[in-house]
Amino acid sequence: MSLFTRNLPICLLLTVPALALGQHEAHTSHSTHDQHEEHMPHVQEQPAQAAAEGFTEMTTTAEIEAALAVGGKPVVAEVLGVVCDFCATAMNKIFGAREEVAAVYVDLDTKALNLVLRPEYDLDDSTIEMLAVQAGYRIAAIHRNPAIAGR
Amino acid sequence: MKPVLWALLLLAPVAALARPVSYVGGWTLIEESNRQSTAALVHYTPSPAWSVGLRNEWMRDSDYLLTAIQPTYLLKRWFGRDYQANVYLHGGLGVATATSGNPLGSTTGGFAGVMADWETRRLFAGYNARYLDAGHFGDSAMQVFRFGWAPYEGDTNDLHTWLMLEVDHRSGLEDSVSVTPLLRFFKGPILLELGFNLVDPSPLVNFTFRL
Repeated sequence: MSLFTRNLPICLLLTVPALALGQHEAHTSHSTHDQHEEHMPHVQEQPAQAAAEGFTEMTTTAEIEAALAVGGKPVVAEVLGVVCDFCATAMNKIFGAREEVAAVYVDLDTKALNLVLRPEYDLDDSTIEMLAVQAGYRIAAIHRNPAIAGR
Repeated sequence: MKPVLWALLLLAPVAALARPVSYVGGWTLIEESNRQSTAALVHYTPSPAWSVGLRNEWMRDSDYLLTAIQPTYLLKRWFGRDYQANVYLHGGLGVATATSGNPLGSTTGGFAGVMADWETRRLFAGYNARYLDAGHFGDSAMQVFRFGWAPYEGDTNDLHTWLMLEVDHRSGLEDSVSVTPLLRFFKGPILLELGFNLVDPSPLVNFTFRL
């Protein structure tokens, strides 16, 4: 019996749960918007102005909605190289530690860093770019028009 | 092996193919166990370009423990909207100490290597090579190729699952070339890899936690 044949059961054992997880995950990602909207992040319906001007729309979470509701200023930064949760963790840590930032969410699907700045603060583009470098990434574009948050 | 050495291995985690440089101010704990060694590394990232950590690696067949300071330097990173690629240089210098009744005492040990990876949300390719010299305990060289595929694209904070295949070459081992299929699970700051070597039957267990 060849090595491959002898170890085939082990390969199957490793592979099947992964496929099952994949199917489960794919299912939940399609259904959560309706079922858990208050908890799960979702992408706003793209505002007409944003679409017309080619903006990246903001992905909102409960934290982002709350920050916007009290007058927070939305910022969406397109980020290069965001391919995994470690990327999101890094940017959440770096930006979340800033007092100017009321809410932060990194969306791997839209490859965007979604920020809401506290009403009394601002964060200029060069600072955002510098913070992204500290997180290990690079900013491609920054959008600040309120239309990105549907406002 | 003395309990204290086990404790060191468990408490202080090894960086291989999972982002050996973190964000500025970030700490990362990494554990790796493969057919040759069990290792742990804890590293701190003071700059986007490099990290420094304490590494403990137990060479199980050779019966010694290498405790070393390990700097890792990000030589180059390529960014794209859908991909990221990196080349790292890493090295270490420390003390190799006999374990499990090995009468060879201790000596200075060190290593140097290069790592490279290319990753999208669905595909991964990585390479890691290292030369280790542990004085009278001997030297060794290894290189590892890793290919991965994700059956779905997980979003932020989802459970990410990867199917991967690792091919390694390790000098001095009876089966110098071996193949390990493995699963990578990734969620938030935690990465877990579980695999089994098909040529040199032994488990592969890697764990990373990014603080």
